[in-house]
Amino acid sequence: MLPTSLDEAVEALAASPAAVPVAGGTDLMEAVNAGRLRPAALIGLGRITELRGWRYEDGGTAVLGAGLTLARMDRPDFAALIPALADAARTAGPPQTRNVGTLGGNIATAAPAGDTLPVLAALEASVTLARPGVTREVPVSHLLTGLDPMRPGELLTWVRVPLLNAPQVFLKATGRSGPSRATASVALVLDPARRAVRCAVGAVAPVPLRPLEAEAWVAGCIDWDARGEEGVPAIDPAAAAAFGEYVASACVPDGYGGDAASGLPAEGPTAEALRLRRTVAVLARRALGRALK
Amino acid sequence: MTNHPVHPVDERPCASYTLRVNGFERPVTDAWIGESLLYVLRERLGLAGAKNGCEQGECGACSVQVDGQLVAGCLVPAALAADSEISTVEGLSAGGAASDVQQALADSGAVQCGYCTPGMAMAVHDLLQRNHRPSEVEARQALCGNLCRCTGYRSALAAVQTVADARSAALLEAEEAAAEGVGEAAEPAAADASAQGRQAPVQAPAPAEPEVPDLPVYQDAWTETAAAGEVPVFGNDDSGWIVAQPFEAPQAFDTPQPFEAPQPFDTPQPFEAPQAFDQPQAYEAAQGFEAAQHFEGTRMPGPAHPAQPAGGYEPSPTAVGTGVGVGVIPPQGYPGYEATAYGPGTVYASGATYEPTPAHGTSAPGAPFEGTPAHGTPYEPTPAHGTPYGTPAQGTPYPGYPDQQYAGTPYEGAGYEGTPYDRASYDGVGYDGTVYEPAPAAPYDATPAHGLRLPEDDHA
Repeated sequence: MLPTSLDEAVEALAASPAAVPVAGGTDLMEAVNAGRLRPAALIGLGRITELRGWRYEDGGTAVLGAGLTLARMDRPDFAALIPALADAARTAGPPQTRNVGTLGGNIATAAPAGDTLPVLAALEASVTLARPGVTREVPVSHLLTGLDPMRPGELLTWVRVPLLNAPQVFLKATGRSGPSRATASVALVLDPARRAVRCAVGAVAPVPLRPLEAEAWVAGCIDWDARGEEGVPAIDPAAAAAFGEYVASACVPDGYGGDAASGLPAEGPTAEALRLRRTVAVLARRALGRALK
Repeated sequence: MTNHPVHPVDERPCASYTLRVNGFERPVTDAWIGESLLYVLRERLGLAGAKNGCEQGECGACSVQVDGQLVAGCLVPAALAADSEISTVEGLSAGGAASDVQQALADSGAVQCGYCTPGMAMAVHDLLQRNHRPSEVEARQALCGNLCRCTGYRSALAAVQTVADARSAALLEAEEAAAEGVGEAAEPAAADASAQGRQAPVQAPAPAEPEVPDLPVYQDAWTETAAAGEVPVFGNDDSGWIVAQPFEAPQAFDTPQPFEAPQPFDTPQPFEAPQAFDQPQAYEAAQGFEAAQHFEGTRMPGPAHPAQPAGGYEPSPTAVGTGVGVGVIPPQGYPGYEATAYGPGTVYASGATYEPTPAHGTSAPGAPFEGTPAHGTPYEPTPAHGTPYGTPAQGTPYPGYPDQQYAGTPYEGAGYEGTPYDRASYDGVGYDGTVYEPAPAAPYDATPAHGLRLPEDDHA
């Protein structure tokens, strides 16, 4: 079934709640091919052109269509708008995947290594969920953490992202030099109006994590007035390094990767935790440095 | 059969749709909606160019173009690709003539086992469609989704530059020729291009030739042998070609292009391209293929194909399920494939009939592959790394058995206490007095341990 308008798709989904809405299908078909999923019906969202673009709203908000492909988000006009999201889309996978993979699909799938998710969490984006005649607005973090999950028959339509007009960085560590799933990713955005730093760490947990204490701490260490001036460091390098460690220890627990079933009491952080903390610390430190450069 | 749980029919919803592959309408009937485009292309439509590598979108061997976008065929639900324009690698290597991309890949040595090559060719083709002069970095980024495990990427990157150089050179010559005289523009440009050999076809049409926007992507292989928009299909006329016209007719083809049959190639043909052009039965078989052809369009006007009967082709109904309906490009020269096209209904030379591989997620009872679970069969996954499984780690308290004396003994990693681990001779009695049962003697004709194969072992 290939609806061509949003209303059509929402009604089709309401008529058959067991049907699976398919945008790019990259995550869905991987599960189908592996035998983990047997869709009762498919509703293709690729023909809904209104969801494939974005528009602006008052109050400095961009409303992105859920059908915006990762390849489209990589283009320069979008990268000027939300650079971190463009960076995440660029590294999300090979061209074959980015050409069809969508922003809404990334959110709806909520894969742990979804690359756009930490960016959306750091940007404090919200999504619009539509049912026939009813829409509701849910913060992305509530949606991802299960605080306010998607209900049956709901379709993710729009993603509201505040435009900050400030440096944004997305960094990702992978197992190979080509595109692959992140072992850890860090999105960091500056909010100079509120003099705040917002950071989210992806791929180390089922949902992106926000180290709120580390954000608040490092926001006080930044010389906001000197930011952007030539030759004046906006932050002490030692403070940036400490921020990295702070983020890492906040996001990677001691028992990470440990064998919970073995019943052994944890004696300090496991080797996996130490390794991942080092990765996250370096990513966070570099992200802060690049954002303040 | 335990691996094939029988599912009710409603758990396997099916759909019928029409795919537009390489410019031809290809009906697909009663296909499970979970079938990927890759599966439908390979198993239902007989287009085996795209390869099944990982089924996860990681390897790029299944790359095809859907609506001009390079996608992983294994990650596209085929039912949702209906009404889209799909082009596969068979559209590149139309009629057996390798496109310039494919020829360059072969010439630069980018092909060893060849499994990744169809996907690589599609990726290069897609890159050069969008970017006529890709830099090294752009080429690497475009090919980053195509994994090659035996050749490496250097020669593939060299092929990208070869094709880009050849195309720009050909385009430059065409422009120069067009500047000399508008009236005589098309002829020398085409002549120059064909004089350069197959590596340098004119990538853009000469200015005298009108631009036809919606044509299928055959310009790579066809600018030198056929006009744009023609779809290479072997037919019953003397030339061996059928011209179908799935779109609106290009307006002016006043340049007579004498149609020549593909000459015997002395260069090795890569990919899916049939090899045996020196075997005459390939063309004879192809001529017999017309019985199942079904063309929606009319013939291309113009003098290009003088041997074809005037008045076009009679549309003949497509035999349902034969898979040789609308415009199959018949494989030629493969032994056993002469009689009919590959696909359902095929009778191979050995007498075996075509048995499609079960669809992904199909677990039909009585499937011809009993024993091996079909794709999509629910299975117990291998425990993830780190799952407690098998030998306990060193120092783990050994739970032991309730009535044995070793319960709670820490496992030291060198065998349990009492095991005659390092003793040269084993007398059946442990040093703590435990009497062990000796292992039963192996039967005389059993396969020896350690994988040794005796000469009389017929499985050797």
